[in-house]
Amino acid sequence: MLISLNEIKKLVKVDLTDAELVKLIGSRLVEVESVTDLKEKYKKIYLVKVLSAEDIEGTHLHLCKIDAGEELGHSVQVVCGAPNVHAGMLAAWIAPGAIVPATFGTNEPFEIAVRKLHGFESNGMLAAADELALGTDHAGIIELSPDLTAAPGTPLTDVLDLDDKIIEVENKSLTHRPDCFGLIGFAREVAGILGQQFVEPRLPQIDCEAKKGSITIESPDLCPCYSYSVINLENPLAKKPYFDFGDVFLAKAGMHSISPIVDVTNIYMLLTGQPLHAFDYDKFLKVGGTAEPKIGVRLAREPESLTLLDGSNVKLTQHDIVITSNDVPVALAGAMGGELTKIDETTERVILESATFSLCNLRKTQMAHGIFSEAITRFTKGQPAANCEPVLLAATQDIVDVSQRAQAEFYAVHYAAPLAPIVITLTTKEINALLGSSYTPELIIQTLENTGFAVKPAGETLTVTAPAWRTDIHIKEDIIEEVGRLLGFDNLPLNFPLRPFVCPSVDELWTLKEQLRTLLSDRLDANELLTYSFVSKSLQEKAGEDVTDSYKIVNSLSPELECFRQTLVPSLLEKLRENQKAGYKERTLYELNQVTRKSLGLNDEGVPVMETDLGVVMPGDFYAAKAVLLELEKYLGVKFKLSRLETDGTFEPVHAAAIYLNETKVGQIGEIKTGVCRAFKLGETASALELTLDKLLGQKTQRTAKIALSRFPSVSRDLTVRVDADTAFEQVEAAIRAALSQNTGLLYTIEPVSIFRKEETSKNLSFHLEMTSTEKTLESKEISAIIEKITNSLTELGAEVV
Amino acid sequence: MSKLEELKLELKNLGREYAKIKTLDPAERKAFGEKLNAKKQGLLAEIKALEDAAFSEDLPALDFSAPFGENAPKFTYKKGTKHPLTTELSIVGEIYRNMGFNVIEARQLDDEFHMFESLNFPEGHPARDGYDTFRTEEGFIPPAHTSTMQYRALTRFRGNLEEKGQIAVVVPGRVFRNEDVDATHEHTFYQCEGVFVSRSANMGQLLSVLKTFFETYYGQKLNIKTQPGYFPFTEPSLEFQIEKPAALGGKGDGWLEMCGCGMVHPNVLKTAGIDPEVYKGFAWGGGIDRLVMLKYGINDVRYFESGKLDFLKEF
Repeated sequence: MLISLNEIKKLVKVDLTDAELVKLIGSRLVEVESVTDLKEKYKKIYLVKVLSAEDIEGTHLHLCKIDAGEELGHSVQVVCGAPNVHAGMLAAWIAPGAIVPATFGTNEPFEIAVRKLHGFESNGMLAAADELALGTDHAGIIELSPDLTAAPGTPLTDVLDLDDKIIEVENKSLTHRPDCFGLIGFAREVAGILGQQFVEPRLPQIDCEAKKGSITIESPDLCPCYSYSVINLENPLAKKPYFDFGDVFLAKAGMHSISPIVDVTNIYMLLTGQPLHAFDYDKFLKVGGTAEPKIGVRLAREPESLTLLDGSNVKLTQHDIVITSNDVPVALAGAMGGELTKIDETTERVILESATFSLCNLRKTQMAHGIFSEAITRFTKGQPAANCEPVLLAATQDIVDVSQRAQAEFYAVHYAAPLAPIVITLTTKEINALLGSSYTPELIIQTLENTGFAVKPAGETLTVTAPAWRTDIHIKEDIIEEVGRLLGFDNLPLNFPLRPFVCPSVDELWTLKEQLRTLLSDRLDANELLTYSFVSKSLQEKAGEDVTDSYKIVNSLSPELECFRQTLVPSLLEKLRENQKAGYKERTLYELNQVTRKSLGLNDEGVPVMETDLGVVMPGDFYAAKAVLLELEKYLGVKFKLSRLETDGTFEPVHAAAIYLNETKVGQIGEIKTGVCRAFKLGETASALELTLDKLLGQKTQRTAKIALSRFPSVSRDLTVRVDADTAFEQVEAAIRAALSQNTGLLYTIEPVSIFRKEETSKNLSFHLEMTSTEKTLESKEISAIIEKITNSLTELGAEVV
Repeated sequence: MSKLEELKLELKNLGREYAKIKTLDPAERKAFGEKLNAKKQGLLAEIKALEDAAFSEDLPALDFSAPFGENAPKFTYKKGTKHPLTTELSIVGEIYRNMGFNVIEARQLDDEFHMFESLNFPEGHPARDGYDTFRTEEGFIPPAHTSTMQYRALTRFRGNLEEKGQIAVVVPGRVFRNEDVDATHEHTFYQCEGVFVSRSANMGQLLSVLKTFFETYYGQKLNIKTQPGYFPFTEPSLEFQIEKPAALGGKGDGWLEMCGCGMVHPNVLKTAGIDPEVYKGFAWGGGIDRLVMLKYGINDVRYFESGKLDFLKEF
């Protein structure tokens, strides 16, 4: 929203510099996104009088002489293409060296220079409203009223109230403040933060008959208040002849002049926040086929449709509120009027509407039809019912004043429910307790009264009545916010909460993730990635996943981001390929993140069960992944068991295994199917490891470091064992371990060295043994005895020491 | 004869001098011995210095600017990396833990109740539009802010109010917004939420806690300021700013918007089964991606989820 500081200053006495004022607004009312200095924007643009305008033959151009005053010259030559340029008119002249205001502040500011047109020198240009960024009109240059007393050569900023600063404020933080969407409401807040009592401006008020009228409202929620007046213009209103302050007022708010009546409605909306709408009275009756206006407010009924003012035809939804003439929709309430009842240059009578509607319905209308007008922006903040009538009476008076001959016939107001003031009772103690402040009751009361609250003190207790425009006040905290904000949150004394002398509990999952990252990145040389939670259908298909098991995002940004991912491995395989292509060949990639699938079901809260997974991918075969798993076991102090993998889309069943921890399946490990590798364009074998971390929680066993140091020298022996090809490695290792553990006082380590398959039926397993006694130096015969035990133990297994 | 040879000869001759000691009067022997010893030590030091210098002179000169030596293998270190966002989340979590906050992580698929209802967003209220939420076919919502976890944090740690007099929780997590992606906007990013409840929680405490956090994070004293804001789940609501810290090139000018915050709305406490007449709370939430971007001068938020080692190897 754009706010003119000059307009604020008309309503509040400001003794601060503009910079100080903007800073205060920023810290106590709303974020200021930008400040535009109009004095800069309209530099070197002057009021001039056109002395002569002669046609340049064979062109649409005119050779003009202008009076730009004593300093700039009483007879400056300008070439002008506008059809309406004529001798004697007052116009706006963009002098050479000036920036065309419409391009001011853009990436390509356009500077006016002296140049030749058809052989004639043109010094600057006479400007149209759009070039001045004061309207959209480009049909001709602007003409100012001959009644202006300013002399030619006066800067335009002095003539048209453009010595001003426009601040752009962030609407979002005023979502709950419909009153601040009008200049009066905004100024009231400025008074409040300056510690001044705001003097409410007196709005004009038409003196005409109040009738009951004919207003039918389907349900009170839809429309808390509907009011309208009927104005007889006597004669249709002509477009105003001169560019004036009204145009500038609208332009400063980012709007522009449309017609005298619409301009009045827009000006009142900008002043008060209350949008108004004007219907052509006769067209309204014609649509309804009635002799008197029969106004209705109801929800649209499908399949109704309506042609709007902008010519678009919209299919109405059951959430849209429509204004009807004898039950025929004529306007999309709060959003846009209808084509059939549009006012135009032939309009003789006007129905002026001032109403407020259900913001929830209007929000749906806004979304369904993509209408983001100044009016609906205000309506969706919930304009107060109490404002409808006074704004209607003021705008009606203004239209009568504008047209001079017009007369207001009557007005009617319909409230869905009687207006009840909002009263909150609270104590100064409660206010200070929540803010951590020590404000006096006097200061609190004054602060609230400055912006229109009525406060009745009784000892510590304050009975606060909110002004009618503060529809956002419901609870004590709303009042406390007003006090804290208006007096400045930045002025609150800082203090700390007292803290009990306890250590916060540690979240096990959080800690586990930290441990895994340290292990994988710092010790195993892997790279951690984060990839999107949203994946495409095709990615899942490529990885052999069941697409129907993934949650589908209905409003995804693209098909690439259509599904919530079921596992981490497909995303990681894609990144493995991309990074391999970029030259990172032998990298192990991993991610720790959440996944879910429909088949996991919902939890007690009725939301999908989420799993936090570790996904690891790498080039290489099963054992590349197994090496990571072995480190995990050691580091986490757990013992995993591998067993056959049920059929799987991603993993090669013969070269992959399910990982079990205490009878619970916690993940899988192994080689990616050849077909999947091909789909991901991975040239060589790739393997992966997937662990569901949630299932590891609470499973920790004691992690003992096997450290027992002996002061005696250690002896090493290498041992190669030939076994049947299908004898499991772990059986052989267990047999060796069993034999070693029979020796008292013996410390030992068994390190697998190689696994060598010599022939079809057998394989050789080699181990490196380190042995030492805690009691003495081992002699060679004692070592021989140990080896013999091992040999015996292995022989029982059918193995042979070679 | 070189200087070194001269010194060595002198040392040798000095040995002979010692013999004279026997000829001296016993009273003079001590002083004589000490004198000779001192001379000997001096000679030895001189000889050592000359020998060291001679050794150094024989060494080939090095090119200190070269990354590795001639005819020698290049030193390489391991290439494992942690993601900068998760690293930062750890740091942030650790600071809050040191301040007494429990750390729990946010869910990545949630529902209307946790996203809106439990946070005092009335049904169909336009304030819901500010969040640009994604939805699944079933109506589940990938959360648009970590505040979805407030209700869970409050109910899960409600018992702490009796036992410890307060609830203190921070919730880092991944959040999602349906908005067009460019260098400064991502549909997927990280936030950290915080909530504190006690009988005497107030706004001064809220500002102190945030100030302390950022001072610890940036390792310096910082000026702070606020801006009024609007969130349905806090009342009053604020935007919290810090002065640009020296670590980010700040020179006492410029402000950084860090998070939204405020006093927990009584309806939020009530929904979580906490009596708002007895207990007050404050809460805040802010982005993590921006902290990391500012810290390392990263100019494109899209790098984070790109999975590109060209980027990640820097961390």
